[in-house]
Parts: sequence; structure tokens; C-alpha cells
Amino acid sequence: MTDAPPADQSQTVRPKYIGKKVERFEDPRLLTGRGLYSADIKADRMVHVAFVRSDQAHARIVSVDTDDAAAAPGVIGVFTAADFPELPELSAPSAMKDYHATVCPVIARDVVRYVGEAVAVIVAQDRYLAEDAAALVMVDLDPLGATADPVAALEPDAVALHDNVPGNKVLERVFETGDAPGEIAKAQHKVSARFRMRRKAPLAMETRSYVAQYDSGRDQLVLHTSSNTPGVVRDELARLLNIPGNRFQVVSPDVGGSFGGKGSVYPEEAIVAMLARDLERPVKYVSDRLEDLTSTSQAFDEIVEATLAFDKDGTFIALDAEVIGDIGAYSIVPWTAALEPVQVVSFLPGPYRTPHYRGRVRGVCTPKPPTGPYRGVGRPAAVFAMERLVDMAAATLGLEADEIRRRNLVGPEEFPFRIGSGIRWDRSGFLECLEDAASSVDVADFRKRQAEARKRGKWLGLGFGTYAELTGIGSRIAVAPGMPINTGNETASVRVDATGAVTATFATASHGQSLETTLAQIVAEELGVRPSDVTVKQGDTALTPHGTGTYASRSAVIGGGAAIVSTRSLLKRVKEAAGALFDVDPDTVETGDGEIFVPETNHRITFPELAQAVYSDMKALPMEARKPLEAQENFDPYLGTTTAATHVAEVEIDSETLAIRVTRFIVAEDCGRMINPLVVDGQVHGGVVQGIGAALLEELHYDDTGQLLSATLADYLIATAAEVPALDVHHLETELPENPGGFRGMGEGGTIGAPAAIANAISDAVAHLGIEVQELPMTPNKLFRLIAEKQGKD
Amino acid sequence: MKPASFEYLRPGTVDEAIAALDHEDAKIIAGGQSLVPMMNFRLVQPERLVDINGIADLGQVTAVDGGVRIGALVRHAQAARDTMLGTAFPIIGEAMRHVAHVAIRNRGTIGGSLSHADPSAEWPLLVSLLDGAIEITGKSGVRTCGTEEFFFSPLMTDLEEDELLTGVVLPSLPDGAGMAFDEVSQRAGDFAVVACGAVVAMDGPCIGSARLALGGLGDTPLRATEVEVALTGATLDDIAGIVADCAVDLEPNDDMHASAGYRRSLAPVLARRVLIRAAERAKGKT
Repeated sequence: MTDAPPADQSQTVRPKYIGKKVERFEDPRLLTGRGLYSADIKADRMVHVAFVRSDQAHARIVSVDTDDAAAAPGVIGVFTAADFPELPELSAPSAMKDYHATVCPVIARDVVRYVGEAVAVIVAQDRYLAEDAAALVMVDLDPLGATADPVAALEPDAVALHDNVPGNKVLERVFETGDAPGEIAKAQHKVSARFRMRRKAPLAMETRSYVAQYDSGRDQLVLHTSSNTPGVVRDELARLLNIPGNRFQVVSPDVGGSFGGKGSVYPEEAIVAMLARDLERPVKYVSDRLEDLTSTSQAFDEIVEATLAFDKDGTFIALDAEVIGDIGAYSIVPWTAALEPVQVVSFLPGPYRTPHYRGRVRGVCTPKPPTGPYRGVGRPAAVFAMERLVDMAAATLGLEADEIRRRNLVGPEEFPFRIGSGIRWDRSGFLECLEDAASSVDVADFRKRQAEARKRGKWLGLGFGTYAELTGIGSRIAVAPGMPINTGNETASVRVDATGAVTATFATASHGQSLETTLAQIVAEELGVRPSDVTVKQGDTALTPHGTGTYASRSAVIGGGAAIVSTRSLLKRVKEAAGALFDVDPDTVETGDGEIFVPETNHRITFPELAQAVYSDMKALPMEARKPLEAQENFDPYLGTTTAATHVAEVEIDSETLAIRVTRFIVAEDCGRMINPLVVDGQVHGGVVQGIGAALLEELHYDDTGQLLSATLADYLIATAAEVPALDVHHLETELPENPGGFRGMGEGGTIGAPAAIANAISDAVAHLGIEVQELPMTPNKLFRLIAEKQGKD
Repeated sequence: MKPASFEYLRPGTVDEAIAALDHEDAKIIAGGQSLVPMMNFRLVQPERLVDINGIADLGQVTAVDGGVRIGALVRHAQAARDTMLGTAFPIIGEAMRHVAHVAIRNRGTIGGSLSHADPSAEWPLLVSLLDGAIEITGKSGVRTCGTEEFFFSPLMTDLEEDELLTGVVLPSLPDGAGMAFDEVSQRAGDFAVVACGAVVAMDGPCIGSARLALGGLGDTPLRATEVEVALTGATLDDIAGIVADCAVDLEPNDDMHASAGYRRSLAPVLARRVLIRAAERAKGKT
């Protein structure tokens, strides 16, 4: 120990905050009930909104009689489409060819296209009275027939939902590299299946909530919204309502989750904003859980028919897929109907070398609520299908799940690697994550336990889910192909004010991602203050000229990148001012722990002292050195960065009751440099829990007429603590991506890998029965049917 | 999802409650765990709510001649930790763990569960299994009713609109009886897909007498009387064979969560498990 070199005093001893387990600054507020959500907002003369919603899936509106409702106690107004003739419809155009954008009136006009679509709006003194009046509105609907099944909706005799969408086909796209059909035709080994990922609900704990307030004296409209994309809402509603952005502010205060469901522009937001302006009263709408399940955008709902060809060693040759995505009644604004289904075919080849690929996707309209962004977008269904095919291939050759992946994953020397759909993977720990996960489970030992357990009537199964995803996507790549907005950049401004306090402003909108903490850690480390010295402001369109919000695993990468480049600019100003004050070369000035100093000198001041010198003291610095301590920079990663992981699930099935329990879960993931391991763990845990829900529980059951059968939380089942095992998360940092912080996005991965891993684990557990999982969620009831069908056939 | 307006009364005695029910559209509220969601969905819109939470003597578990009386206001959590019930009927504590979640167990009541009459719920099955007598108070006094007469169909009971379920008397079981409860639900705390309860008294190596109740397999909780008869004198090894066909003639619900076939397949599994567990517990006592 005595040989250790003495610490170099000239080296910065500045504490490092990136990578530290800093406890969340949000927690004291949110965990003690001091958060401020949209529904908490109260204002004088506030009125409350309830919607009358369609109880039929597809029908012509014959009449809407509002007379009794309008006369009901406490009612201020009842409005239908006829009352908003000037309001443009919601639509999301796309640059994709063969794309038919649907047109969605903010309130149903002439035709309703899903159960839950708003037909009339009641404004009353409170929500109770509004619901009393809503029950008095008489809606006369003439059924137009409904084709709720997506395959049937593509048939020639299907009922057409929109005049401008021929054959209910909103979009069609093909990705093709090499000759997959030809290679498959001549391949000796191939596996095929038809996979179904059922429709699910994002189900944020806070339902959609909007409060609009209009100040007629200043002609200022303010909308508080539960959205995670306030910038998108501002831009779209400013256009729809024809209000300039300087008179229209959209604020996302504390937001209780979104998972994608609150990240689109909703008709109710437009209506609430418009009513506040027209009535000149604050207007509040808080959707209830029934409305959340029937009118918030939904997830998945794809059929993937795919074939994987491989050689005798298990090396993949070709992949061919036909995908049908049920997009519901309307394309989601602004992301377009392409968002979810097209990403299924873009990501299907996954992290593997598969030289030949052909994937065709068709998006089909059915009379159900629109599908929209959901944590993982496209990838949960793609990874489910591909990872099942990989295990099926392994089974035909007698290979273990880890071995076939090892033989096909893109190796460290092969990056950047372009897969058959055109997606480019940059270096990420594909193999490293697989090896870490595989060594953690001890497959050989598991096979022994599996055999022993079978004697006791317990079917154990082990399943791998390996994937790669693109995160922090820059302006080169559209988050959804052909969509009309740019989500690839982020602007941050960081300033030291006259009190010496640091404020960093972003266009992100944290709704559970802990950005108040992680962005503060980044700014603090770059500037040389403590994280708790930094206040992060976000989620308010008045703060930034442009921005979209928080979604698509972008905020740590792009927002964090903007934080770094902006804070570096600010630090330069700090050093210049301090250099002038100390009369030294600015390059010799250092900062750390809230102090500004020149090492090995007596020059040492605090940020408040520097602020005093710059802003208030007119003698300390010459006028030209008194530049405001503020910097604003933009960051656009241009491309995206690749995040990889392998999930491993172990399940135990009771052979008699068929109850399925996830008994073990391992995640080995590479998200680059972690900003805060506590936050990374929390994001992975939350995502995996949702993935368990998608794999075992969550399903929106629609009947043939488009009626939702699982419209309460007694029937729409999500995973609770009792259904979740201890989650073992391993973080690997292979090679850092080439962005300012070395960060990769990781907010969505949990939901991407977990469904596939669990599907494979269940398939492994029941393999001896000759059945396998081709549909998620897989429930004991469905397992019972599969076994009965198999026994019936045999 | 807000209820329609209603009149709210909070009587302090059973007599006042009965008087308050003399109204064309009154509903009793106790724990509110079933009624309030139904009101929020406006599936029911009672004009008057009679809140019985202020009637203190309905919340007691008391020893009575030949058994234990459970007041209608006894909460699920209270029943689970009650020492008198725990000694006489340990199956109650075992079953209460399956009733929803802690917050619901702290509020929900036995009276509410019985009068709501969900055929998958735990209390209707337990009272049926334990041959309980349901005590109903009306204008003309108190009457008692067995579960066979009390439960008609889902949400339908023998309770008249101006009557109040005031308690349940569970007759004592013979010394040495063992009992067990189990259920299959989709998640911990969900309504049972199928539930089973058993009481077994041993006679040497054989079953002296057995009771078996099934939930989730019909419109009401069911006693498997034929199985009970066949079990008398049987050994533990015989149980699986005796219960194998216990649900073949039943026509349970067929819904998105569980097909009738799946529900039927669960009955003999759970029946065997609870009977064996009950028998082993009975053996342990003797």
C-alpha cells in the first residue's frame, strides 16, 4: 500500500454524480401526497365535463337529443358535433406511400366507429351532475355492422369503416433484403407459426385529465394535461384552434405514468381547451377508469405469421413474415397508424444475422379504440414472435436456447450491423448479455430440477428473451415511419441566476422517469455543483420554443445529451467570469461541489459569490465580463443508439390447475453508462412487471360486435406484487455509444424482453405435451384449451 | 363513474335500520365493497342508503348455545384474527386470506358478502360448508334460514327488501374434525375461479364423516352431498376416485376468464386436495 502514488493534487477532486445512486428528488413530494396532478387543480368558477360515449361499435348517428340533459340541474351546456362546425378534424398524415390517413372528428359526426367514442359533451357544476345529465342524452344510433376481427376486416365483404380507406387497409409496407421466400423454399430446416399478441391497455395509474383556463383579459389559454408530450399537444392544438403559441401554454404538471397511452393528442384535450375559451370559465375533465379502458389508445393487437429457415448447425438463413396489425378505428395523432405495426416488421429480425429477410405488414381498421404508442412499440410483438421461432428452431435441432442464440447473435466485431429491415445496430452487448444471463441460470442444473419436479406434478420451464432496440432516436430516423413531426432533438438551457442557484430547463416531460433527479445529476457533474443544487424545469411549453416530451426511451439520451452540451457552454462562461475576477487564465479555473477555484491558489468562491459579481456588483468585473451565466444548446443524435438485453424467465405450472407462476426472472442488459442505478433498476423492474402482465394476464377482450368485455379492473387484470418474483437485474457496460454521455435509452426494455422470455418458458414447461405458446397472454384457461385440443387430436 | 344522488341514513339500532328500510328503494350499506362500485357504474341507483355501520352490536363474534354467532358487521380481517373463530373454525382464517386484499378485508363484512351472494365468494361457501344458520331480522322479528334456502342465484337471495341480515350462527363441529379450504383464482385476491372447502372427521384409519362445498361451479355455493355420503368409511387413498366425477354434471359459467370445462376440471383437484388436507389435520388432532 505504501507504494501507491500520492494523489495528484492538480487532478480534479470534483465528485462524480453520474453513475451514483442518488435518491430521487421527486420522492419526498410524490410519496407524501404533495404532488400536483392535473386533477388536483382547482379554480374559481370551474366547470366539469362528462362525455356521452357511444355504446355501439359502428353506427350512423340518427339523432342526439340533448333537451332533457340541457334542462338538468347544474348543467351549463350540452354540446354535440353540430356545435363545433368550425373545429378541424384530427388526422395524422404520413409520407409513407399506400397510406390512408383516417379523419377523426373531435366529437363523433354522423358516424361512430368504436364503443367509447364521444358523441356529446356535458358541462356542469360538478362531475356528478354532469353524469346525471349525460344519462339523459338520447342518442339514436342506426347500426352499420361491424367487422371487429382484423383478418375478417381485410376480406372483400367486410364492412368498410372509412370511405377513404379502401378495404379497411390503412397501410401496407414490405421490407426485403435478399431472397427470403426462395431460400426458405430450398432450406432443409425451417419452423413456422402464427403468433398472436392480444390487444392490451397501457393503464397508467393516473387517468387522462385535462384542465383548461382562459384569461380573456390577456387572451391567454393554459391547458394543464396529464400528457407526456405537452409540446406535441401544444403544436397540434395551436393549429386546430388557430391560436399562436405565445397565447397558448400547455403544461404537464406531475403525471402519474403514461406507458404511451397519454402521449398522443386526444379529442378531449381539444374540446376542453375550446370550451374554456368559449365559456370563459376554467374547464376540468378527469376521465374515469371505464373511459380509460375504452377511449385511451391501446397496444399491440398483431398477428405475425412467420417462417425461419436455418441450416443443420442452427445458423439462420432466412426469415419471412406476414403481419397484420389491428390499428382500431382511427390512426393515432400525430404518430400515425404505422407506429406500432410497421415497427413489428422493422424489428422482427432482431439482434441476429439473418441474411435473407422479407416482412410485409398491413394495418387494418376495425371498430375499436385506436392503438397507439405503448412501452416498447412494436418490439414486444416482434420479439415474442422471433424468440419463439428461435426456440422452435433450437428444439428441432436439439440445441439449448442459449446455444442457438450464441451461434446467431451479431458479434462484437460485426458492428455496425444492418439487419434485413434496414435498421442499423451500433455496438452493444448482444453476446455479453446472453452469456451473463446464461451463466446465471445454469441450464444443466435446471434440466435436472425440471425432471424431478415433473414427478411431483410441477412443470418447470426456462425461457430466454434476447432483443435489441433503438433508443434515443435522432432526426435521421422517424420514430414512426413517415410521421409529420421531428422528435430527434432536444434543447436545454442552463443558467445560474442572481442568487447563484442553478436552473436547467428542458422540453422533456417526466411522468415516472425520475428526470428531475437524473438530469440534475448530469448538470451538477458538468457544472461542478451538487445535484440537489440544480432545479430541473420541464413539461411546460412556455419554457422552450420547441420540444415534444418524454417517450421512446429518448430523454436520458437526447435530453441528457442536451444537458451536457448546454452545461459545458455555461461552464465556459463561468470560467471566463471567474478568470476575469481572479485575473487568471479561465482554463486554470475549476469547479466542484458548488465552488469555483484555481487549484493550489487562494482563489476560491461559491456560485452565489460569482453571481453577485456578475449580476449585482458593478465594480468587481468590467462591463464586458458581466455576461449572463446562461447557455442554451441543442442536441440531436441524428441516428439512434442500440440497447440490448437478455431476459430469462423460469416458470412453474401446476399440472392439475394449470396455474402459471413466474418463479425467477433475470435481466442482463447493456444500457451504456448508467446515470443513476436506482432509476435504471426501477425502470427495468416496472417494465418487466408490465411484461409479465402482457405475458400472463392483460387482455382487452372484444367480442365480434366490437363490445369490450373486460372493461373494469375486475376483468382487465394487471400483475400485482403477488404475481411478480424477485427480479435479478445485471447491468453490463460494454462499449459506450458515441454520444455526449455514453447513455443508451432503457425505459422500455422490460416490456420488450419479458413477454418473449415467459412465452418461451411456458413452452419449455409444456413441451412434453406437444404444445407451445403462440398467443399472449397465455392463461391457465387457454392452456387447458390447448391441452384439450391436443388430446382430442391425438 | 359517479353514483347518482341518494338519501343517506345512519341508524343506531337494528330496529331503526328496519324502519329505515320501509321505503320503496332503499339499500343497506355496510362495507360497501360490492355496492359502491355498482353504484359508481350506476348499475344500481338506490334512492336511500341505510348505513348500518353505527349499529355496534352487529360487529361482534359471540359464543352462543351450540356454536358461534358472527354479527353481520364483522369484517373479513376481524374474522380472520378472531380467536374464538380461530379455535372453533380455523378454516375461516385460511379462507379469508383469499378474500381480495387487505384494504377490502378491513372494510368488507360477512353480512355484505352473504347478501351480495356471489357464487364464487368465500363466505357463502364457508357458511354452506359449516351448516350455518343465517339470521334475518324484519319488521315481524327474527327468522333463520339455511344456505340452501337463502341463496337463489347470483346476487339473488331469500332476503326481502325490508329485511336485514343480522348475523350467522355456525354450529360447533365435533372434536377432532379437520378442515381445509383452497381456491384457484387468476391472481391472488381475485374472485375464485373455483373454490373448495372440506370438513373431515376420522374414524380410525377411515373417514368417519365428511363435508365438501364447492364454489364457482353453479349459481350458488354447492354441497357435494353424494360425494359426502361416498366418503363415509373411505380411506384417504379412495378420495381421488370418489371426487373424480364431482363436477361432471355441473354447468358452471363459461366466460373469457374460465371456460366451463376448465372450471369443471378444477373441482376434483381442489376437492381432493382439501379433503386430504382436512383428513390429515383431523388425524393430527386425534
